[in-house]
Amino acid sequence: MRFHVVKRDNCPLWKKLCLYLAAVAAALVLGGLVLLALGVDPLAYYGRMFTMGMVGNKIAYKTFENYLKVFVPLALTSVALSLAFKMRFWNIGGEGQFIMGAIAAATVAFQAGPVLPQTVTLILMCLAGMAAAGLYGALVAVLKVKFGTNETLMTLMLNYVALYFLAFLGETKAPWNFYLDPASVRPIFVSFAKTVSFPKIPMGRFGLNVCVILTFLIGALVFVYLRYTKQGYEIAVVGDSAGTAHYAGMKVNTIVLRTVFLSACLIGLAAAFKVGTAGILSTAITDDVGWTGIIVAWLSQMNTAVIFLVSALIGMLRYGSTVAAATFSRVDSSFANMLQGAILFLVLSADFYTRFRIVPVQKGGKDNGNG
Amino acid sequence: MEMDKLGVVTSFVHNIVVYNIPLLYGTVGEIVVEKSGSLNLGVEGIMAVGAIFGYIIGCYTNSLAVGILTAFAAGALCGLLFAALTVSLQANQNITGLTLTTFGLGVYFFVGNGLKAVSWPAMNDYPNIKNGFADLGIPGLSQIPLLGKGLFSHNLLVYLGVIIALCMWWYLNRTRPGLCLRAVGENPGAADSVGINVKRYKYLHIMLGCGIMGIGGYYMGLNMSGSFSSSCWINGYGWIAVALVIFANWNPALAILGTFIFGFFNTLRVSGSSLAAAFPEPLGWLASVPTQLYQALPFLITAIVLVATSVRKREGSGLPASLGLNYFREER
Amino acid sequence: MAEQPYAIEMRGITKTFGSVTANEDVNLTLRQGEILALLGENGSGKTTLMNMLSGIYKPDRGEILVNGVPVSIDSPADAKKLGIGMVHQHFKLVDVFSAADNIWIGREKAGITLGRSRYDEIREITQRFGFDLDPRKKVQNMAVSEKQTLEIVKVLYYGAKVIILDEPTAVLTVQEIQKLFDVLRRMRAEGHSIIIITHKLNEVMELSDRVAILRKGEYITTVNTAETNEQALTEWMVGRKVDLNIDRPVVERTRPLLEIRDLTIKNDEGAVAIDHVNFYIRGGEILGVAGIAGCGQKELCEAIAGLRPIQSGLMIHKGDNIVGLAPKAILEKGISMSFIPEDRLGMGLAPSLSITDNMILKNYGEAKGIFVDRKLGRADAEHVIQDLEVVTPSTETPVRRLSGGNVQKVLLGREIKAGPNVIVTAYPVRGLDINSSHAIYNILNQQKKDGVGILFVGEDLDVMMDLCDKIMVLCHGKVMGVVHAHKTTKEELGLMMTGALNLSNKYEDKPAGYARDTNISPEELKELHGSEEGEEE
Repeated sequence: MRFHVVKRDNCPLWKKLCLYLAAVAAALVLGGLVLLALGVDPLAYYGRMFTMGMVGNKIAYKTFENYLKVFVPLALTSVALSLAFKMRFWNIGGEGQFIMGAIAAATVAFQAGPVLPQTVTLILMCLAGMAAAGLYGALVAVLKVKFGTNETLMTLMLNYVALYFLAFLGETKAPWNFYLDPASVRPIFVSFAKTVSFPKIPMGRFGLNVCVILTFLIGALVFVYLRYTKQGYEIAVVGDSAGTAHYAGMKVNTIVLRTVFLSACLIGLAAAFKVGTAGILSTAITDDVGWTGIIVAWLSQMNTAVIFLVSALIGMLRYGSTVAAATFSRVDSSFANMLQGAILFLVLSADFYTRFRIVPVQKGGKDNGNG
Repeated sequence: MEMDKLGVVTSFVHNIVVYNIPLLYGTVGEIVVEKSGSLNLGVEGIMAVGAIFGYIIGCYTNSLAVGILTAFAAGALCGLLFAALTVSLQANQNITGLTLTTFGLGVYFFVGNGLKAVSWPAMNDYPNIKNGFADLGIPGLSQIPLLGKGLFSHNLLVYLGVIIALCMWWYLNRTRPGLCLRAVGENPGAADSVGINVKRYKYLHIMLGCGIMGIGGYYMGLNMSGSFSSSCWINGYGWIAVALVIFANWNPALAILGTFIFGFFNTLRVSGSSLAAAFPEPLGWLASVPTQLYQALPFLITAIVLVATSVRKREGSGLPASLGLNYFREER
Repeated sequence: MAEQPYAIEMRGITKTFGSVTANEDVNLTLRQGEILALLGENGSGKTTLMNMLSGIYKPDRGEILVNGVPVSIDSPADAKKLGIGMVHQHFKLVDVFSAADNIWIGREKAGITLGRSRYDEIREITQRFGFDLDPRKKVQNMAVSEKQTLEIVKVLYYGAKVIILDEPTAVLTVQEIQKLFDVLRRMRAEGHSIIIITHKLNEVMELSDRVAILRKGEYITTVNTAETNEQALTEWMVGRKVDLNIDRPVVERTRPLLEIRDLTIKNDEGAVAIDHVNFYIRGGEILGVAGIAGCGQKELCEAIAGLRPIQSGLMIHKGDNIVGLAPKAILEKGISMSFIPEDRLGMGLAPSLSITDNMILKNYGEAKGIFVDRKLGRADAEHVIQDLEVVTPSTETPVRRLSGGNVQKVLLGREIKAGPNVIVTAYPVRGLDINSSHAIYNILNQQKKDGVGILFVGEDLDVMMDLCDKIMVLCHGKVMGVVHAHKTTKEELGLMMTGALNLSNKYEDKPAGYARDTNISPEELKELHGSEEGEEE
């Protein structure tokens, strides 16, 4: 029996879901095997990981608050990246844009915080974050549109430029450097949490950070934007078939620029949220959200609603593994990265079967006797 | 005072090589992969995997050779995974590569921290490894004043790296299999039509390139004397390698030069202050340049190179035309 | 004659791509030491069939025998081993390599190193075959004909016994064509067997021993060239005239809506696609455009829609020059263009979007505010689905899920909804069954009665002869003639399409393509002719 590979015309949704879920399950099983090899009960570990240690925990609300601090930037960044990805603009620069947004927001916090009322400062922080990140991303879009510069490689390079800029701010003790603690001889970032911080809405002992509500709101806005507005329609058309967009008279370049700018802006906003909540800059401010966001956006097939779901799950995975590491000391928290990688590899494999079929080659046909 | 100055310069040159040879491994490895048409963004993770397994197995067997081979094998296995996903299963190359980075780093810390909790092999306990990493002077050349000790008195892996780079240059430009590989990366349809097995070429060369990267990772571990901490041995060098590939115009020989240039700035960051102290008048200002600027320099330079090459025409660029695209024969 | 096995025999070959059947139960034989011409119109399946011999496609059903032995050609490497070589229509060359390197990558047992001697070896072989090729020249610096030569040399170099050429003369000059023919004849004498895919009847008659004809994916027949003539071949190629019962209402004609004067357009490769073409369309008239694939129709349609820049000439719409206008502006003038490419989804539709979303493609900007008005789009979609009997689960189904013909219905339906005064439609009934096709014809006729001028680029001569008022035939970018549909014959059209007949100067009193009641002002004419003085040839 010989086989060859043939493209599929389409794959029904239920089949896709089954394949993807099977892939995730298979990854969990593999992870379970690794855990067994370490002498750890996989069910106990997974249980602790996915509940993030909140079961039977007196201060479970604190855990949930911390989880949300992971979820918010991830969800927002993933949504932002999906905007660019929809247009096949591979914005790998989430990390760099996040950093620039964070720096801008922190700058406003330091400069305006002591002077202006908190609400105004917070709003200014958000705007500054959006502007800085937006411009950082738009720069690459301009280069792509004008010169055809490869955006994957360019955004990658700018990530590191931003990272080292942040490191510069964090490691250079100098009179102009207001980011650092004046009282300390060694350079360490100073907190502005006392002056400026996103407010929490108290619900019992649990405090719901305003950013969470804002994030869901923005998610809903983006959903509406993409589905119901003219610009969202343009994004859909350009991403689907640039030729058709051009044929319909759309200014493709403008649309690309605008959308990438918007995408980067949202990342800057996520950064502002993070900085405003944490109250302090740090060289690890991104927590790899620029990388994870790419994975989440792709896994969600760029669908806004699904992104929230997947961000929640991946957030659970990442945060949960740090919690579980406390109980299961033999399992390092990097297990989350391995598990995440395994899930993705298996989903990528499953994706093959949604796009292609394996067909046996039939021999022999009717012999017409012509010729 | 005179001898002092000479010593400073010599050790500066020496350091350029020592700290930055892993760049060469990573770059040459990635060049081989990219020439086959695959953009592999997983260099950082693959180098980490090669590093951790190479180091551990090398120490336990007390053999540098085994360490090198293990690092190569570990890298090649990662390459196999990448190839299986992108060539056979037609997965998106960017996503696969990025996942490999996360996954590879995860494996690195998982295994490393796990072993550290039990018993971590210290490099100094294994004489073969320690001696293997000691400097070997090339007779004659290493006696040249100033440059001799700097350039020609290094450990085995440095020489190996340069040899690999030169071999790969020769392979790509002067052999028929290398020509076929380049054809695969430029126009897989054309290569396919003359009977070249595109899949096999991609698999083999992706694995080869990733194996080379793995050795580079091993080197970095040895260079850190095998001390395992919370920051990865690779420390971003994998990403610099991706940049260096572009800067070197996909040419392994130019990569040697590129390693020196990038390495020069990198070493300036570390040893700049000693240079400034030794030569206060001409070089005193070096001490005040922020180290982060040096760290960012490779990426800034490459960004500029990227823009410059996209402004002018493709003529003369080593960028494989089908880079990043998956090949499917029955594409209509 | 000795009972020699056929060099190549293909039995019952069937190949489908998704829902499109490219080859249906095709049989083909190639005798040893003969030149077989494979003849057929665009879309007849010639290239697909040959691609199965060269290992690029695998047949869904059927057998292939080489020298009487059943074989399985799974890859181009297998084809090469079997001694089959193909010169493709779209070259498979590495642009940045030299000529020698492009050949060298396929060489077996060449040793590891690349010696300088390979240049000498290639030069020597090339000269032996009678070609002139610089082995060191990079492909990206080569002219189209040189690349063609390289492809041919490549195939010969690999020692192919069976050689397939796909439309090789399309890019060659007259002298080069003769040289090629001499080479092919010489190779036949040396025992090679050759298949040449072509649509040029004169070449078929001059070169081939036998001719095999395909039509619409099906095998028709094979005849000895000596026993046939161009008339008969054309008839086989296009088939007998079928009575289609298509209406052709007589409408009072108006002044020309669109006039094309001396239009020259270049295609993507830089060659001339449309060559100093003149024609005009009146309101209430359907002008058909017939021609072999690649005769310039695509470029012509794109130019009128403002999607492709022109080299020179005038395009006057209701007295206004539309040259250089943006696609949106041209839409606003009332010129609507719908081009159905071979894959049906390339241009004009966004495949992943729903029918509703595709309906609003051209007028989404007119809705007030920032929101898209899908209500209107949905209503339009429902009308189109009803009127044209589109088979779809709903208005929200992604267009790419619709089967072949339904896609075209949506596209044309949208174009008509916009209320244009000039409709340019290319292959609107490609792949449609009889009923759906008639629905389209009725719609076009209705538009015609409403005074719309229609440019109908089509493949099916029967249809065009029934539906159109006049038919313009293009061949290699030139107008071979504009004839009244009810006065012409299929054979006449076929001969014009292959360049064998030129009726462009049939009427002595006025040049073809000029309307007596033209809208073009004398000043514009003078400007056009004035610019021609300094025009490059």
